[in-house]
Order: sequence, then C-alpha cells, then structure tokens
Amino acid sequence: MDLLGFARGPALKVAIAVFCLGVVWRIVGFALLRIRRDLSAPRRALLKTLGAGAWTVGTRSWPHPEFIGRTGAGEALGYSYHLGLFAVVLLFTPHILFLRSLFGVSWPGLPSSLITIIAVLTLTLFLAVLFRRITNPVMRMLSNFDDYFSWFINALVLVTGLAATAHVGGPYERLLALHILSVDALLVWFPFSKLMHAFYIFPSRAINGALLARRGAVS
Amino acid sequence: MSRLADIPVRVEAAVPGCGSADPGGQGGSGGLGGGVTAILSELGELLTRLATQGEPAAIDLRSLPMTQLERERLRHALGDGEVQATVTAAGVSRINETGMAGVWWVEHRDAHGELQAELLEVCRVPEFLARAQDEIAAAGQALSRGARGGS
Amino acid sequence: MTRDTAELVGEALLRHGVSRRAFIKFCTAAASALALPPGAGLAMAEQLRQRPRPSVVYLSFQECTGCLESLTRSFSPSIEQLIFDVISLDYDDTLMAAAGEAAEAARTKAMKDNFGKYVLIVDGSVPTGAGGAYCTAGGRTAVDMLREAAQGAAAIVCVGTCSSFGGIPLADPNPTSAWPVSAIVSDRPIVNISGCPPIPELITATLLQYVSTGQVPELDSHLRPKVFFGNTIHDRCYRRPFYDQGKFARTFDDEGARSGWCLYELGCKGPTTYNACATVKWNGGTSFPIESGHGCLGCSEPGFWDKGSFYAALPEASWGKAGRTAPHQVLELGAAAAAAGAVLGLAAAGVSRLHQRHSEQSGDQGDGPQGGATGG
Repeated sequence: MDLLGFARGPALKVAIAVFCLGVVWRIVGFALLRIRRDLSAPRRALLKTLGAGAWTVGTRSWPHPEFIGRTGAGEALGYSYHLGLFAVVLLFTPHILFLRSLFGVSWPGLPSSLITIIAVLTLTLFLAVLFRRITNPVMRMLSNFDDYFSWFINALVLVTGLAATAHVGGPYERLLALHILSVDALLVWFPFSKLMHAFYIFPSRAINGALLARRGAVS
Repeated sequence: MSRLADIPVRVEAAVPGCGSADPGGQGGSGGLGGGVTAILSELGELLTRLATQGEPAAIDLRSLPMTQLERERLRHALGDGEVQATVTAAGVSRINETGMAGVWWVEHRDAHGELQAELLEVCRVPEFLARAQDEIAAAGQALSRGARGGS
Repeated sequence: MTRDTAELVGEALLRHGVSRRAFIKFCTAAASALALPPGAGLAMAEQLRQRPRPSVVYLSFQECTGCLESLTRSFSPSIEQLIFDVISLDYDDTLMAAAGEAAEAARTKAMKDNFGKYVLIVDGSVPTGAGGAYCTAGGRTAVDMLREAAQGAAAIVCVGTCSSFGGIPLADPNPTSAWPVSAIVSDRPIVNISGCPPIPELITATLLQYVSTGQVPELDSHLRPKVFFGNTIHDRCYRRPFYDQGKFARTFDDEGARSGWCLYELGCKGPTTYNACATVKWNGGTSFPIESGHGCLGCSEPGFWDKGSFYAALPEASWGKAGRTAPHQVLELGAAAAAAGAVLGLAAAGVSRLHQRHSEQSGDQGDGPQGGATGG
C-alpha cells in the first residue's frame, strides 16, 4: 500500500474513530458533571432563563464596547482566521466531494483559485496569531503545550493543503498524502486538546447565561 | 435519438496546443503572443551561427505550444522563398524555403496525411533532400554494371 | 521472422520498400516525441541504418493482448509498423506464423545466437501461484520462461501495466499470485512502459532510442521513461483552466459536460496519473479520454484497479470493499466509536462526580455553579 492509500484508508478510518470516541467521551463527561443545586428561588421563569442563555451566546460573541480597545485586535484576528478556515474546509470542491462521500449531502463551492487566496490569507493570520501569542506577555504566560501544538497541527494542515493544491514540493500523490495524514493527526489530537472549544464554547456560554439569568443577574 | 453532431459544443477558452484549430480564430486573442517573436529571435541567432560557423540547427515546432493564429503569424513573418519541394517517402513531406534565406519549413506527413513532424530547419539545404554516400555509390555501381552489360 | 545475421537495418528497410528518407521521417517523429533535439532524429536514423538489426524476443504472459494490439493496430501503420522493419522480431507467439515446437525452436535459437544482446519485450503479468501453473506454454511456466529469457537479455522492456505493475491479474484478490516482471527479475535493466494499453508511440520511440543508442532513457521511480511519464495528465490537461476556476461537470450529459468543463467530480484520476496522454494523445494525436469526455482511469499507475471506483472523485473516501460504500462504513464506525466514547464519558463523569461529592463533603467547594473537574 502506498503512502496515499494508507493516509486515505486505514489512517483516516482510525482517525475518524478516535475523533468520534474522544469527542463523545469529553462531551458526555462534561455534560454529566454535577451542578451544585441552586436552592434560591429562580428570579425568572424557566423559559426566559433558557432564552437568556441563548442570548448570552450572542452577547459573549462580541466584545463589550469598553474592552474593544484592548481586545479588539485579538478578537478580529481570531474571527478572521476562523472564518478563513471554515471557508477553506467547507467551500473547496474537493473537500465538499469528500464530505459528500461520507454524509451524502453537498453544496456549491467557491472557485478554487479564490479558496487558494483565502487559504494564504488564513495562513498569514495564523502566523500573526502565533506572533501575538509569543510576544504578548499575558498570552505567553497563559499558553502551554496544548496551545502551541494545536496551532502547529492546524497550520500544518493549511500548509500541506496549499502545497498539494499548488503542486509544489514533490510529486502530487505525496503532497496529498501528507495533507491527509496531517488531517488524520488533527482528528486524533482534537478531542484531547483545547480544540474541543469547538464543542464547548456555545454550550458553555449558554449554561453560564442561563444560570446567571436564573439568579437575576444581567448577563 | 439525437446524433453526436447535434450536441452543441462551445469552446470556452481555447488553450494552446490542444490539437484542434480554433474555429474562426477566436482562441488567438489569448495564447502565447510572445511565442512568434521568440521563435523569430531564435532563428536570427541560429542563422548568424550558420553564417559564421557553418553549423546547421532546427526548431521542433511540434514541441512548442502554438495556436493556429500564431502559426499563421509565423508563416506570414517568414514569408515564401523560391523553392518548394515535395518528397514522397512513406507519405508526403513538404520542404518549403521561407523568405528568410537559410530557413526551411519542413512538414513530414504519413500515408494518411497525418502530421508526423514539423520543423524549421536552419541550413543551406535540408539534409533530408540529399542522398547518402552509400546510396550514391550503390547507384553508381548499378549503372556501371548496367552500362557494361548493355553495350 | 528469420534473420540474416549480417543484414543491416538500412538493407532490411530497403528490402521492405522503406527508403532512407522514409526512415529519417520516422526517426524524426520519434525524436520529437522523445523531446530530443531536432537533429537527433537524423543522427538516430543514420546510426541505425548502419547497424545490424537488433534481435527482439517478445514474451506474452497474463495479458489481454491489448498492448500488442495497441502497437500493431496503430493509427498510422506506415510509420509505426516501421519498428518491425528495424528490429528483428525473432519471437512473438501472437504475430509469428510458426507455432508449437517450431516456434519454440525459433525462440531458443534466437536467444542462443544473440545471447546477451537481444531486447526482451514482455507483456502480461507473471503468476506464481500453484507453482506457476496459471500460465504455461509448451509445458513451461511463465516464471521459468521469463527467468530463462532474462538471462540473455541486454534489457527488458515491459509493455503495459500488467508486466510493469501487475495490472488486472494482480488486482484484489490476486487469485493467481500475479507479479510484475520487476518483482521476478532484478539483475537486468528494466524499462516499464505502463498504460492499459500504453500509447503506441511511446513503445516505438523508446525501443528506437534504445536500439540506436544502446542506452535506456532516463527513468522515474517506477522505471518509466521520464520524458513520457514525468508529468501528470492534470499538469498538461487542456481543461485545467476549468479546474482552477472550479467549473466541474456533475453528470455526463449536463451543461458543464457539454461545455467541456473539468471532469474531476466524475472521477478523473488525472492529478495522480503520470502518462503522456494529454500531449502525445491517442490514435495519432486524435484525442485522449478527457478530450472525449471521460475522466482519466489512471491506467498507467500501479494498482489502479484497486483505487476505488473510476467514477468516484479523487477526494472521495474509498474504503468500500465491493458492495459496501464509505458512508455506511463511516456511520457504523462513528457510531461504534461514539458508543465506546459514551461509555468512557460515563465512567469519567462518574469519577468526576465522586470527586465532586468528596470535595463538597470535605468542605472546600468550588465558587462557580459548577464544581471543578473538566469544563469548557
């Protein structure tokens, strides 16, 4: 079996299995944690509490005006590269074809040359984000192996994808194999890292918002 | 049932070297416009080398991606010379002297008329037209034998 | 098929009515295909004319004869057939008039008379299962015949994907234990001209270059001539602009297909296939599969029969054994993994809750609504 066959075959299967196992493990483990029973009377009706939770997801997705000066740059960088990643992953025709072969649904993609431009921009933002993490003293203090390795794996996927599309750096099959292997590595690493924020972020904000609303606090 | 010829085919963007002529020359607006200039420039150098050092050379036109329009431009730029030779050997080959002294446009076709090779030869006379020494010697011997036998 | 050992190529050609000029034309076309300098064709022709006709032994094993058909039924036989006037094809069980013992005697004699000098052409893979019984001729197995013929060969030219990489006989489940030639012979120069079948011009040009120079051309990692197999179909495909623009045909008769858009979504394996189809093309330069509206099958690559459906796009998951598609498998796999994950999650939650209870009982409670342990 050649490298590409291995990357697309057994390696990808194992990676998907580990991903599903890990994600469900983390989510179930998190969802079943005890919440200390709040013995005080709820200040709002249940429905309003839940609604407030959903509202919090929105409000915490945008910085408060008072903080924009200090956090605006970081937020903008973060949003930009996330949007770039989503565009490249979900709107590039070969990716759409792969997802269609797995799930049976497809949607129109963007022109491939446009995706290349977005990918290059996203990679630039990735480098900017790393630079910020290293140079900003607070970020540097908060960062650990998890942060840097998650960044590295993601950047590797981007770089190998660009190399494969541009046919630069060796025979195409090898570039494609390296790209798929890096995706396999990402899938395996994902559930055991901070990348799980993808699944936690919205429930986390919603739960916090609901619990605070129950106590009558402004969320 | 509709026939193959009924299916409309639109040429969206004719790309050089795709093998078929552009209908109405639409593909020529793009293409490699610089190609003709490059070929003419190279021919100039090769002719100089032929004149000073006597070294023949050739440019393989089949290996260069050219649209039909560029081919016409090249023919127009080189012009026509005084010699047109037709060689019948496993198909027809045409060797036409161009307007540029020393540049010959050589087309080799097989028995079905398919183009096998196309070259621009830079030489006094293409070697293809000449005969090899052994062929001439063999003919000489045959004639001598014939003359001796006939007289 | 008989050969006068003293006969030169030029003399043989004249005997067949092929003039020197006709031969120069042939060599010029071959040199152009080989991307050699324009003068090389003339030099090749003059060199070859003065040499004795090289002996060639052509052995066919597990093959469909498509490769030989590609060579002999080529579009412009007046030129391609010339190769048979240049070489002395001393044995080919499909083309020769002799049969049975007479044919085998001719082969043995040719191999003995030209030991160390003849070119061995092989098409078809070589089975080793059941002691090689799956392919025998004259009571001898293909493996034995190949090994014997290879001993006296100056070079081995494997024509077609079967002899180069095993081809269809080697495809899963490979019931005859078929192998490519290179897996059986390792001490002779081997040139693989793969393809199912290969483009005939590739065969004749490579043979011509070898017999005129005595050198094999520069080869890639799969022992294929780089001049023909150095680029992928995708690299030279005239529909590449459509790929870059994201314009893909979705079915074989939709608007995109009629407009000649890229066939990537219809399973074209062009990006991972190395061959000269997009430049040299087929039937004397008439067309090639993509130009005729069908995606590349990848037929010049090893194992192309086992790389998923010809109509599944390159990025599509291709784990399906016959009859089972990737979506079924991934759903089953994902569901099984998720179930296992749920079990682990329950266990983890159980442990965490125990820990939480102990923390509460021992008095140091967390501040927030959620006690410690794993969180977002």
